[in-house]
Amino acid sequence: MLTYDIFDNVFQLRNVLDSFFDETARNYRGREYPFVQRFEGEDEILFRVLVPGVTRENINIELVDTSLVIEGEKKEDHSDNPYLRRERMFGKFRKSIKLPYRVDPEKITADMKHGILEIHLVKSEDAKPKKIEIR
Amino acid sequence: MATREYAEKEKYNGEECRLVPPSDIFETPDEYSLKLEMPGVMRENLDITLDNDELMIRGRIGGEKEETMELKYSEYTLHDYERKFMVGNDIDRDSIHANLENGVLTLTLRKRESVKPKKIEISTH
Repeated sequence: MLTYDIFDNVFQLRNVLDSFFDETARNYRGREYPFVQRFEGEDEILFRVLVPGVTRENINIELVDTSLVIEGEKKEDHSDNPYLRRERMFGKFRKSIKLPYRVDPEKITADMKHGILEIHLVKSEDAKPKKIEIR
Repeated sequence: MATREYAEKEKYNGEECRLVPPSDIFETPDEYSLKLEMPGVMRENLDITLDNDELMIRGRIGGEKEETMELKYSEYTLHDYERKFMVGNDIDRDSIHANLENGVLTLTLRKRESVKPKKIEISTH
């Protein structure tokens, strides 16, 4: 059973403020558009990139040495009409992500669905560890 | 008091968390157009309801296969989306059109005939 305590609300507000300063600062400091998630498996990497409103034709993925470069443009889909509310952002973007190891440039696949870009990379053969036999 | 605090924490960290999709609203003489960014939502997981003057938009995340790989680095977290708008009397409630493309939901709310701008002819005697 719960009883009403006026201090509950005060503490609640403190929690809200704390989480705002903590979490936004810790998790999202200096992140660059577009936002990514990196999954790693055995000898493979998967990037999930949030790109709502960007079409397949307007995005370019390049492998530069050991970095993955995602470049593109999110075009405005409504330019002339007067707006009542505007919260979305548009424009050109470019993001370079350093990969943890060299990947096979022939085996990169990318897929776009529901506004999420998935890039799948496989570790290159010469980056894999090699056992050296002692004669 | 302790129980309540715990319950709220669960709610905050758990599934009860909702994302508010960033939205644009545009107006033309004939219609209102709403654009909401909801990446990761599939057509069948979208739920749009108009109850009195409340337009509620909900989108569930998931339905795809679980990722077997380990998440190593993350700049965002996906949650279910939820956003409510209040609509006025000037829209035609029967002809609301929704379209989901590239993670962007476009809702078209047509205005009622009676509120559309009309040109008034001046009759001369």
